[in-house]
Amino acid sequence: MKNILKIMNLNLYYDEFQALKDINIDIENNKVTALIGPSGCGKSTFLKCLNRMNDLIEICSIFGEIEYKEENIYKPNYDVINLRTKVGMVFQKPNPFPMSIFDNVAYGPRCQGIKEKKRLEEIVISSLKSAALYEEVKDRMKKSALSLSGGQQQRLCIARAIAMEPEVILMDEPTSSLDPIATLRIEELINELKKKYTIIIVTHSMQQAARISDNTAFFLMGELIEFNKTDKIFTTPLQQKTEDYITGRFG
Amino acid sequence: MNSIKHKGDSIILTQKKNKKEIIDSVVRLLFLITTILSASFIILIIIFISIKGIVPFVTDNNGIGRVDIITFLTGRVWLTGTAFQSNLYSVGFIIINTLYIAFLALMISMPIGVLTALFIAKVAPKKIAEFLRTVVELLASIPSIVYGLFGSGVILVFVYNLAEAFNIQSKGGNSVMATVLVLALMTLPTITAISEVSIRSVGKDIELGSLALGATKTQTNFKVILTSAKSGIFASAILGIGRALGEATAVSLVAGNAKSGPSLGIFDITSTLTSTMLEGLKETTGIDYDIRFSVGIILMIVILITNLILNFIKRKVGNVDVK
Ligand SMILES: Nc1ncnc2c1ncn2[C@@H]1O[C@H](COP(=O)(O)OP(=O)(O)O)[C@@H](O)[C@H]1O
Ligand SMILES: [Mg+2]
Repeated sequence: MKNILKIMNLNLYYDEFQALKDINIDIENNKVTALIGPSGCGKSTFLKCLNRMNDLIEICSIFGEIEYKEENIYKPNYDVINLRTKVGMVFQKPNPFPMSIFDNVAYGPRCQGIKEKKRLEEIVISSLKSAALYEEVKDRMKKSALSLSGGQQQRLCIARAIAMEPEVILMDEPTSSLDPIATLRIEELINELKKKYTIIIVTHSMQQAARISDNTAFFLMGELIEFNKTDKIFTTPLQQKTEDYITGRFG
Repeated sequence: MNSIKHKGDSIILTQKKNKKEIIDSVVRLLFLITTILSASFIILIIIFISIKGIVPFVTDNNGIGRVDIITFLTGRVWLTGTAFQSNLYSVGFIIINTLYIAFLALMISMPIGVLTALFIAKVAPKKIAEFLRTVVELLASIPSIVYGLFGSGVILVFVYNLAEAFNIQSKGGNSVMATVLVLALMTLPTITAISEVSIRSVGKDIELGSLALGATKTQTNFKVILTSAKSGIFASAILGIGRALGEATAVSLVAGNAKSGPSLGIFDITSTLTSTMLEGLKETTGIDYDIRFSVGIILMIVILITNLILNFIKRKVGNVDVK
């Protein structure tokens, strides 16, 4: 299976307003896919379709199909809880829970019923290591997660997602609230993570998309304008609108 | 030409600045005065009660004799001997009664209040939540005498019948249980309202973060939302216990005014510091009158210490390091 996610004829409405228009896109396994486009074009909305977080918005209605591992996640009786453990999410603003660092990472596994202390410890440590945070926090696992810096908090949120052993990690502008050094660390981390996970990342920065992604999708006003290998998008875009955007003529 | 204009500008600027500064300091002075005023009223009240309340311990009470402070604090009988002739007063058992009752009341109203708050803030549909919120606010503003009347009209009968079912003859239902129920009812709205606000103000991002990890709504509510709101919930407990310790009118109507104790059985009659102060206050004089102010001092100290302890725990619990 080359494509872990297949989005087919996706249309999404907030009440009357159509936020996504007939999106078709295949997400490759173990690749970083970047979503770019001016704000309000529907990148976050699209991302939230993939782990069904849009279910929580009452006025949101969705048409079309999204296949995760060849199963339509919008079919009736689909196990959404299970989907969210397999398709993790990292938010724009770091949102650690007001608990200890350890409890933050152990939270997801605990919700899945893992109680054994030893097992939880293993999960927490390996997740923190994968998120390149372990060395910095190993002496203060019982300290509040809120005592960490913004960049550390975001890596903690990544560790929290990794603890679920997901296959896909969705990231919605994960570095937009961070300073350049913290941003760099996250970008390095993403490069490391793509060996094991499929990553879909929304980004405001085209440099970031160019640096870290394999494929790039360009959205404009709810439409997918162009989807291609990242170097193609940034060197020889096929659409005029894409070229206008990446050369900074609008957006 | 240009330089003159500049000078003019800067003069206007400094004048404006001065005006603002003056307004600023006047406002600050106003705040200071009102603060001092309200603070001094509180201090005045405390001094007044203390001066009155200290009389039984430092004078010979018109020949009856000094009240011994140790006996007063530790005894198990309110008054040994005849009123106006004896100096053997004690509130030791009443302090225990008061704390015991407040604790039991909170044991009932805290879980119910917090769960109700969680329901209103996170589970109930918008319209129902809005309705319940109004009801809770309304209940919180009902004067205590109304709760007292409800207590003596309904709760006493209920407790009396319940005791009878257990073959216990209660004094018309006046009991620890009736007092606890009245206080639980009274503190419930406050606890619910304050907890609800603190639950509602937990960030949406934290809630979404939990759901995105595959937690169910219930798991999210109990494991993340309640933990995040715990300092507000604790504040509601502090206010609740303050009300439970300080309520006099309603309690007097259902406690039964026990003169000795402590009363630990739930169908026993009981008495609290407040009900003791209130009982017969208007009809008595001399030492029997002054001693009620001494009880007032004890009440203030009990409330103060309880608050200090709770605030200490709150700081400990609020700090995530604990767990
Ligand atoms: N919960 C919502 N309710 C109504 N409209 C929404 C909601 N979320 C987003 N939108 C609208 O959908 C469009 C796309 O939003 P979004 O996906 O957040 O864009 P992006 O992430 O690309 O900036 C915007 O016009 C926005 O106003
Ligand atoms: Mg967005």
